[in-house]
Amino acid sequence: MRKGIVQLAAIAVVIGVAVTLVAVLFQWLPTSASEEFDRIQAVYWLATVISIGIFSLVTAVIVYSVWRWRVPADDDADGPPIHGHTGLEILWTAVPAVLVIIIGIVSAIVLARNREAGTRPLQVEAVGQQFAWRFVYPDEGGFSSGELVLPVRREAEFTMRSMDVIHSFWVPEFGQKMDAVPGIETTILVTPTRTGEFAVVCAELCGLGHATMRARARVVTEAEFTQWVEERQ
Amino acid sequence: MTATQHDPHVAEYPARFEPPRGRAWRLVFGPGLVRGAWMAGLFFLLVTALVDALRWWWGWDPVWDTEIVLALAGMVGAPIGFLAGIGAFDYWLYYISGRPTRPEDHSGHGASSWRDYFRVNTDHKVIGIQYIVTTFVFFAVGGLMAMLFRAELAQPGLQFVDSQTFNGLVSAHATLMIFLFVIPAFAGIANFVVPLMLGAPDMAFPRLNALSFWLLPIAGIMFVASFVAPGGSFAAGWTGYAPLAEGQPLGQTFFNMGVQWAGASSVMTALNFLVTIITMRAPGMTFWRMPLLVWANFTTSLLVVVATPFIAGSQFFVMFDRIMHTSFFIPEGGGYVLGYQHIFWFYSHPAVYIMMLPGFGIVSEVISTMARKPIFGYRLMALSLVGILVLGFSVWAHHMFVAGMADWLRVPMMITTLLIAVPTGIKVFSWTATLWRGRIRLTTPMLFALGFVTMFVIGGLSGIYLGSVPIDIAASDTYFIVAHIHYVLFGGSVFTIFAGIYYWYPKMTGRMYDERLGKIHFWLTFVSFNVTFFPMHYVGLRGMPRRVFDYKEAFGDLNFVITIASFALGASFVVFLYNMVLSWKAGPAAEGNPWRAHTLEWQVTSPPPVFNFDEIPQVVGGPYEYGVAGARHAVMSPAREAQEVPA
Repeated sequence: MRKGIVQLAAIAVVIGVAVTLVAVLFQWLPTSASEEFDRIQAVYWLATVISIGIFSLVTAVIVYSVWRWRVPADDDADGPPIHGHTGLEILWTAVPAVLVIIIGIVSAIVLARNREAGTRPLQVEAVGQQFAWRFVYPDEGGFSSGELVLPVRREAEFTMRSMDVIHSFWVPEFGQKMDAVPGIETTILVTPTRTGEFAVVCAELCGLGHATMRARARVVTEAEFTQWVEERQ
Repeated sequence: MTATQHDPHVAEYPARFEPPRGRAWRLVFGPGLVRGAWMAGLFFLLVTALVDALRWWWGWDPVWDTEIVLALAGMVGAPIGFLAGIGAFDYWLYYISGRPTRPEDHSGHGASSWRDYFRVNTDHKVIGIQYIVTTFVFFAVGGLMAMLFRAELAQPGLQFVDSQTFNGLVSAHATLMIFLFVIPAFAGIANFVVPLMLGAPDMAFPRLNALSFWLLPIAGIMFVASFVAPGGSFAAGWTGYAPLAEGQPLGQTFFNMGVQWAGASSVMTALNFLVTIITMRAPGMTFWRMPLLVWANFTTSLLVVVATPFIAGSQFFVMFDRIMHTSFFIPEGGGYVLGYQHIFWFYSHPAVYIMMLPGFGIVSEVISTMARKPIFGYRLMALSLVGILVLGFSVWAHHMFVAGMADWLRVPMMITTLLIAVPTGIKVFSWTATLWRGRIRLTTPMLFALGFVTMFVIGGLSGIYLGSVPIDIAASDTYFIVAHIHYVLFGGSVFTIFAGIYYWYPKMTGRMYDERLGKIHFWLTFVSFNVTFFPMHYVGLRGMPRRVFDYKEAFGDLNFVITIASFALGASFVVFLYNMVLSWKAGPAAEGNPWRAHTLEWQVTSPPPVFNFDEIPQVVGGPYEYGVAGARHAVMSPAREAQEVPA
C-alpha cells in the first residue's frame, strides 16, 4: 500500500510539473498596462496554483487506478465493497470550501480596490454606437474624440453610455471591461502604468459590425496628454 | 425494436380499434404524418384568415403583416395543426368532446417496425429512442454549422459568409446544441432508462410523454427554418440579449417561438419524471435505494419546472416588444434593459445544471458498474445533487458581472458561484474514490466516463476563474468563455451522453456495438476535442472576443489549428454514427445483462418486454452492492427468498 501511495504521488508530481510548465512557459495573459490588471493577475495566479493542485490530484488518481487495477473486459470478479469513508468525505467537502472562500475573499478585496476611485480621477465618457466608440472628456472642455488618449499613471474613470444596443468597453491590456447599456450609466476605473498603443475592443455582440467595432487607445505622458488636449480645445 | 412476442398483457385487451373505412381514407384522415402535414397547412390558413379578417375589420393598415402572420399562423397555428394531425390530442379530444373514447388497446404502445417510430407512440422506450435519434440529427446539424463558421474563422477577415450569416450560424449552433441536443438527449436517455430503473411499466403519463416528444422537432425545425427567413436567421446569439434582439430581422421571431416549444416539451417531460419517480417506484424502492441516475433526473426535473417559465417569459417579452410594440426592454418606453438578462439567466444558469446533472447520473452508473465497486459515498452523492439544485438558483448574476447591474450583487453571487465547486467537487472526488481498488474494465462507456471526469475538472476549474469577479471582468465575453462552456458542455455533457448511449445501447437495441470502433471514436473525440478547445483559453485571455468573424492577425495561426481540429472532431462523429447504425442492423445479439450491473433495467431482456416487467420487482437493497456477498438490488420472484442488505 505504501508503495502504491508513493507511485501515486510520483504520477501527481509528474502531471503537476507538466501542467505548471504549460502555465508558465506560455504567456497566457497580455502584459499588464494598468494597476487594476496587475491586481487581477495576482488573483489569476492564485486560482492557477489551486487549479494545478486539484487537477494533478484528480487526474493522478484516475491514471494510477486505471494503470494499477485495470482488468480485461471479461473479468467477472468484483472490487472490495467500500461504501464510503466519513473522514475523507468531510475532508473533501471542507478543503475545497476553504479554498474557494480564500479565492472569494481575495477576489472581493481586489474588486473593492479596483472600484475605489482616488481624488479627482480623469473623467472620460465612452459612448458606444453601432459600430464605433466615441470618447468625451467633460473636464477638458467636453470635446469628443474617436481615439482614446490617456495620461500614464493617472487614474481615469470611464462612464459608459450606449446610443442603441449593449456594447462592452474592453482594452485587453487594461484588464477592465464594462458593458455600455442603453438607459443606464456604468462606470469603471483604469490607471495606465505604461505608455503605448492598444486596441479598444467591443466585447458584447452588437450586430453586423461587432467584429470591427474597434478604436485606438494611446497611453501617453502627462505632457503629451496636455498638449493633445490643448490641440482640441 | 421493442419485442412484442413476450407480452402476456396484450391478449387481455380488446383487439386494435379499426376505423370502418378503407386504407386510403385512413392514410389521409387517420392519425399520422400525412394528416399532420395537411392539418398544419389547414391551421396555418385558418389562423392567417382570422388574423387578416380581424385586421381588416378594425381597419388596421396594412392588413397583411408578415411578422404577425408568421408568429401566429406559422409558429402557433401550424404546429398545433400538426400535433392534432399526428394524433397527439386524439384521446383527449374524444374524451372532452363527450364522444366514446377508443378502448385502450395499447396499440400505440411498443414498436414492431421502424414505422412505429414515426407516429405518436406512448411506450417510454419508443419515445426514448425517438428522442435520442431526433436529438442526434440536430447534433449533426448544429455540428455542421460549427464547422462552417470554424472554416470562416480559419483566417482573419471575412471569406465565406457575410456577417449576418456568421452571427446567425453562431447563434443557431448554440441554440440547437442546447435546446435540441443536450437537454432533450438527456431526456431521451432518462425516458428509456428511468421507468425501467424504478421497476415501473411506463412513465406516469404516457400520452403526455408522447406529446412532449413531438413538440421537439417543431422547435428544431423552427430554429433551422429561420435561415430561409428574409434577413436571415436569428443573429443575436443564443442569449438573444435585448435590445439587440428587438431590432433584428424576422429570424428572431423564430427563436422567440422555438424556445417556447422546446421549453414546453422540457417542462412536460420534467413533470412526468417527477410524478413517475414519486409515485411509480417498485415496492421496496425507497429514495435511498434509487440509482443515482434517477436522483439526477429528479433534481434536474425540479430545476426544469421552476426555471423554464423564466426563459419562456423573457422570449415572450422580447417578441411582444417586437410585434406588439410594448417596451419591456426599451429604455425610451420606460423599459429596463438589464431586466432581460436577469430573467434570462434565472433560467439559463440553472439550465447549465439541467445540462449537467443527468450526465452526473449516467457517469455514476457507468463508473460503479465498470469498476465493480459500490459508488463511493452514495448518500452524499445524492445530497450533493440537491445542493447543486438549491445553490444553482442563487448564482445567475455571475453572467452579469460586467453588465452594469447593481454593484452590491457581485460579491454575494461570486461567493455562491464559488461554493458550487463544493458539491461538484464531492462528486468528482467520489468518482475517483470509486475507482480506487476497483476492477476497472475500460469499455467504451467507461472511457467516456473517465474522459468526462478529467475534462469536467478542467471546465470546473476554469469556472472558478470566471466565478471570481476580477478575473471575470478580464475574461468575460472572450474566447476563454467559449473554451469554458465547451469543456463543461462538450467535455462534460456530450461525453456523458456518449457514455450513456454506449452503456445502454445493448438494452435499447438488443445488440452489442462494436467495441473497437467505440474506442477509436473515444480517442479521436478526446484528442480533437482538446486540440479544438484548449487553445481557446489562450486566445481569449490574450484578447480575442467571442462572436466575431474577424480578429487580430496574431491569433491567425492558433485559429487555423483550432479549425483543423474541429473538422477532426466532426469526423469522429462519423465513426460513432457508422458504429451505431451498423451495430443496430447487424451487431451480435446482446444478453439481458452484458455489464453484470445490479440496477433493474438489466434484470429484463434486451430489449425489454413491452411492459418492462413480467413480474413486479421487489427491491431489497441498494443499487450498487458490488462485492457484497449475496447482495441483491431486487428480486423478481417473491421477496421471501432474498436477504435484506442495509442500504
